[in-house]
Amino acid sequence: MAELPFPLPDLGEGLIEATVLEWLVAEGDQVERNQPLVEVETTKSALELPSPQSGKVLKLYGAPGEVIKVGEPLIVFEVADDTAGIVGTVPSEDAPKRRVRLNANLDED
Amino acid sequence: MSETLTTSEAGAGAGTVTLSLQGALNLALDELLAEDPKALVLGEDVGTLGGVFRVTSGLAAKHGAERVFDTPLAESGILGMSIGLAMAGFHPVPEVQFDGFAYPAINQIVCQLARMNYRSRGAVPMPVTLRVPSFGGIRAPEHHGESLEALFAHVPGLKVVSPADPQQGYSLLKAAVRMPDPVIFMEPKSRYWQKGEVVTEAAAAASAAAAASAAAAAAATNDGGRSLGAADLTDAGLTGARIARPGRHLTLVAWGAMVARCLQVADLAAEDGIDVEVLDLRWLKPIDAEALASSVGKTRRAVVVHEGPRTSGLGAEVAQLVTERCFGTLKAPVERVTGFDVPYPSGDLEDEYIPNIDRILFGIQRVLEYKRG
Repeated sequence: MAELPFPLPDLGEGLIEATVLEWLVAEGDQVERNQPLVEVETTKSALELPSPQSGKVLKLYGAPGEVIKVGEPLIVFEVADDTAGIVGTVPSEDAPKRRVRLNANLDED
Repeated sequence: MSETLTTSEAGAGAGTVTLSLQGALNLALDELLAEDPKALVLGEDVGTLGGVFRVTSGLAAKHGAERVFDTPLAESGILGMSIGLAMAGFHPVPEVQFDGFAYPAINQIVCQLARMNYRSRGAVPMPVTLRVPSFGGIRAPEHHGESLEALFAHVPGLKVVSPADPQQGYSLLKAAVRMPDPVIFMEPKSRYWQKGEVVTEAAAAASAAAAASAAAAAAATNDGGRSLGAADLTDAGLTGARIARPGRHLTLVAWGAMVARCLQVADLAAEDGIDVEVLDLRWLKPIDAEALASSVGKTRRAVVVHEGPRTSGLGAEVAQLVTERCFGTLKAPVERVTGFDVPYPSGDLEDEYIPNIDRILFGIQRVLEYKRG
């Protein structure tokens, strides 16, 4: 298993920090990709951050009311080694499928 | 190490470990850093994070942050720094995080790294191995699925190599880093998590010692190239192509992730009575032309398969090398099954872009049914 940290992402419009309002997951939870993780408030608005991937929540940073700067640790996941790549997903190996059959008269060799 | 080493207990597999390609590359780097105090690993996120594919996981903690370190997000700087370190006597193993991010470093690679040895008449060799997670197949965005082997192979002074499986990854990375020349090491990122048996150098040395006292056993180890004995881990066993599967009727030439696909195709072709040989080219510069001639001289038919675009792809070079050597005996022109002459597509389309099983079978069929005149 591998540990995968997820820092507070750039929330856009030049925002540099956000205040934690409420955690929607707890340490030890198994989360799915796109599941809401936390509600944060910026100077613009309150918003829910979706999980960038599935995995087990190892550690949460920031109690409600605390300020986290963009790029600082927000959450650490524990993920299986074969899903630890941060970009992309490796398709599972399926049994090979074919539609084309070969046809040759090799006797002419 | 994020990969658990499990020593196989079966007699035939004694001394082997089961590793993913990622784990095999990690082990090779670990052993290289241990044996060579001049070896360094550098790149974006290779240190604290352990690389986006975990290839350098644990290496900074074990070998120190002075020898395994994170760089700024600037590929030109990563290569420039590596060139300077090589001038100062180090053996850098830089990583460019993805194929498409090698473009910002092209000036350093082509104009400096590749030429310094030539320019200095051998006084300033460049023992730099640039690791590039390469090729497609992981549903990633633009710049994360490209095949740059033809670009790099075109540059005098560079060597280019791509491993197809964990054993090749382990052995070829060690061979590359020990070379005095700059090597572009193209890791097939869609194969990082596929596991295989790996004979480590320590195990191979022990096996060679045992074989010396039982010479008769040596002849029984050849099973067509799917497993490696001690001889395959010597320099001579790592400089050229290898037969991944022997066959009589047609040669499929491939490298990187396409080797595994061609092995699947060979199994399917066997259902139709066609015995396909799969030649894993491994080194893409220089190309092992003699291995091509030997294989196609026997099968008299060849199909070359690669992910990159067709025009001026390495398939054209392979076809010409085969034609020069086998023109008189070829049953058909060498067929190419390749990507298309378009920018690498988004993940939804990559199964259509990368040569799939049916496209390769069609290529084989075109060769099989070719009639002269």
